[in-house]
Amino acid sequence: MGYAAARGGLNAILTAENLVRRLRDLDPSERIELDQFTGRLRLLVDRVMGESGLWAPELAAMALRQGEGDLIEAVHLLRAYKSTLGRLDTAIPVHANDIQLVRRVVPAFREPGGPQILGRSTDYTARMLTTTDRDIVDASDSTTTLDTALKTRPSNSRMSDVLRDMDLLVDRRRTDDPEPFDITRTPAKPPAPRSALLSSMARAETGALVNQWYRNILGPDGYLHEVTLGEVRHGKLPINVRHPMTGGSVNIGSFRATEVEAIEDLNGSEEDRTRFDVGYGFCFGHNERKAIAMANLDIACYRDGAKSGLEQSLLMTTDGLDSAGFLEHLKLPHYVTFRSMVERKVAVRRVADGKN
Amino acid sequence: MTSIHVPSPIIQVRNLGKYYGNFDPAMIDRTGPEHGTARDHVTASIVAAWGVNFDVAAGEALGIVGESGSGKSTVLRCIAGDVAASTGDVRLAPFEDGNVNILDLDPSARRQLRINTLSVVYQDPAEGLALGVTAGGNIADPLTAAGWRNFGAIRDRARELLARTEVPLDRMDDIVRNFSGGMRQRVQIARALANKPPILLLDEPTTGLDASVASGVLDLIRQLLEELQVAAIVVSHDFGVIEMLTERCLVMQHGRVVEDALTDQLLEDPHHPYSQKLVAAART
Amino acid sequence: MGRTEMTLEATVNSSPTTIAELVGHRTTETFALLDEESKREIRRALLQAVCIPGYQVPFGSREMPVARGWGSGGLQVTLACVGADDAVKVIDQGDDEGVNAVNLRRLVTMSTGIDETTEVDEATLIQSRHRIPEDDMNENHILILQVPVPEPLRGIERDIRELARMHAEADYSRMWVSLYEDKVRNGVITQSTGYPCLVASRYIVATTPIPRWDIPRLHQSKFLTLFGAGREKRVYAIPPYTDVEPLTFEDVPFEVESADGATCRLCGSSDSFLVEMPGKQESWSCSDTAWCRRQRNT
Repeated sequence: MGYAAARGGLNAILTAENLVRRLRDLDPSERIELDQFTGRLRLLVDRVMGESGLWAPELAAMALRQGEGDLIEAVHLLRAYKSTLGRLDTAIPVHANDIQLVRRVVPAFREPGGPQILGRSTDYTARMLTTTDRDIVDASDSTTTLDTALKTRPSNSRMSDVLRDMDLLVDRRRTDDPEPFDITRTPAKPPAPRSALLSSMARAETGALVNQWYRNILGPDGYLHEVTLGEVRHGKLPINVRHPMTGGSVNIGSFRATEVEAIEDLNGSEEDRTRFDVGYGFCFGHNERKAIAMANLDIACYRDGAKSGLEQSLLMTTDGLDSAGFLEHLKLPHYVTFRSMVERKVAVRRVADGKN
Repeated sequence: MTSIHVPSPIIQVRNLGKYYGNFDPAMIDRTGPEHGTARDHVTASIVAAWGVNFDVAAGEALGIVGESGSGKSTVLRCIAGDVAASTGDVRLAPFEDGNVNILDLDPSARRQLRINTLSVVYQDPAEGLALGVTAGGNIADPLTAAGWRNFGAIRDRARELLARTEVPLDRMDDIVRNFSGGMRQRVQIARALANKPPILLLDEPTTGLDASVASGVLDLIRQLLEELQVAAIVVSHDFGVIEMLTERCLVMQHGRVVEDALTDQLLEDPHHPYSQKLVAAART
Repeated sequence: MGRTEMTLEATVNSSPTTIAELVGHRTTETFALLDEESKREIRRALLQAVCIPGYQVPFGSREMPVARGWGSGGLQVTLACVGADDAVKVIDQGDDEGVNAVNLRRLVTMSTGIDETTEVDEATLIQSRHRIPEDDMNENHILILQVPVPEPLRGIERDIRELARMHAEADYSRMWVSLYEDKVRNGVITQSTGYPCLVASRYIVATTPIPRWDIPRLHQSKFLTLFGAGREKRVYAIPPYTDVEPLTFEDVPFEVESADGATCRLCGSSDSFLVEMPGKQESWSCSDTAWCRRQRNT
């Protein structure tokens, strides 16, 4: 009742909204506080911020709570909120080496320059559902406090630099310093600069990027082959802006990010078989799955040279709000278009029956 | 040796060249028939075609013969606009009275030429046809591009062309993918003729067809060339095809023209050793 | 690369002198939801669209409080155009009470305080999904159509670069071939809604999907039509008094929807776009509910 043509569309909507609010807000359990999201569901909060393109843990937590844990819904709330805000300033670029590492994995070398930091990870934990509270850590347990502190070691020995020093890397550094493409102000479409591709992927829906990666491994496309990871990093980077009065650099906060360098073996007929190339992945928060897929797709897209539809797929089909919104719009009334389609079916049949 | 130049040519080609890779002026002298290769050993560049000159008059068919890799298809594709020439000057009398080097045109203008000035028939029908479209629809494509907007008139013209190319009219509304190779080639020819272009380029038009099918298609092309009085270029590795369709021909080897002559003279008395080899092979 | 874009939750119109003040300021109550800079940007794109009728102008589509695919493009166009003196009518499938129409209308009125109406002659901005109102409209009206798929050639070509080339060169022969094939295979042209039209003899546009019934209304219309595709980040326009020709062959008349002898069970009209209840006798009714209501009352 009250869906489409019936009168009282507004009442139907208000009732639907009320049901959501009642069932969500009046649930007999304790209301989830925002710091529970940021403290206990940090990976979820990180994903929302990454896919929103907005670093704001508390707002992300609010969005998740309001959206009943629906990731796409939370991203939508956060991005729509962002649309109402003026753009004040652009942060001063920071070098990725300014990262304060909490985790660094270098699969390409046993002993890379700089540290290997396993950090906070369940990579090597048996995935066994804990059904009791027995495993909850006691605050007095000193073995668990060690690695939680932020590492502040120098981290400038990244694998791409190491490879370059070994003359094992093709050099495609550019001498100019073009402004990055702003995908929030200009729609990115092929042919697009690399910065457009990278920002599209940084904001992409994680599952969409993972799928793009995997369908190229096992699916029909095959434009990509597996890389060796040079760097998988997670850490904290500063946000600096120019002071509006003094013009000096002022630190106004920090954000966490995941950064990945993917080393690609070049084996194409036109490529330099004696060297490697590197793909790059970077996204807000701790989301290694996404950053790895991104790095591998970045280099795959470069090597592909616009010969396939990969660039178009990455630029135009990986945004979670675009795809989910369009998919769900099928629920909207379509009876005018459907009526028109039925009319054509009748018309075709009339011709087939020789009545025309 | 006959002149490669004719009075008031429809197609005039001068110093046409195409290389792949980096250019080094010296690589021209390091490649070609005397060196037995089109690949420059210093730069690793390929000189696919170089220094090609010829004219084609109205109603004349010029053959270009050679083995695969000789550069004959490169020449045709540079004229057609499928491949960007590296250098040269190509003028078509029906376009701006021959006052414009078509190699200087932008891709958009090159495509315009393909609508009603110049048509190409490819060895592979998939290149010249949309296989998922009907035979009639494939003909409708160049017609609508040229501004035809009357369904009945398009149908009539398609019917006329398919009849002329001996495609059974009851196949007109079948998609081309369901056609045999020979039939596809006839549809491709019909499509190429849709807007009565004064210039027709044929790239190995019967290669890959069964001998009996090929001879039928060849017969059709010969009749059409006589009837339509277009200026044509026929590229083939097969002297049989060249003999049947052309009056004059160029022999190409390793990216260069090694001989040009009247076709029947060439067959009787080839001068260049490579031509002799080709003719001998064709006669056995 | 390596440059981190941050949106700070503050406004530009005050002049903060410290970072804390800069960050501390936040205003979410803006007229018509979007900040002024965004609205200006959308209006610039719309002006370009009006100057090049039928050309799809890319714009920096914002994330709206409605999902992409749910009228976010139309909403942005409406919000970019709306002024304090406007009155807005919003319909979905012709119905002012359709749920999505209601939702969009309350967003517009809530964020602007302007009047809402169901009557065409009271409205200045009419946002619609899938229909053009049956009523006559004039120079005082702007019709804003929500567009799911702005690319009319997508059915024949997927590659973005090739599509750009085809539009640039007005290379539309494959579109004509698709119509030819349709007619050959089916005896009629089966394109139902969103019928491709040539605007000002230059660009082919996707007509949202409105039914063919509405297409003649676009030709030499007195009103301005703006098309907003939020998800695909394009706007385009048909200015007043512009030629809009549905693509069809000279000898194949363009056919609008018809239903033999059908009349609206409510108002008795036979000359409006009718929708049906499945499997019922006398099942037809006007899709334009406001128009239907007025037919009954006069």
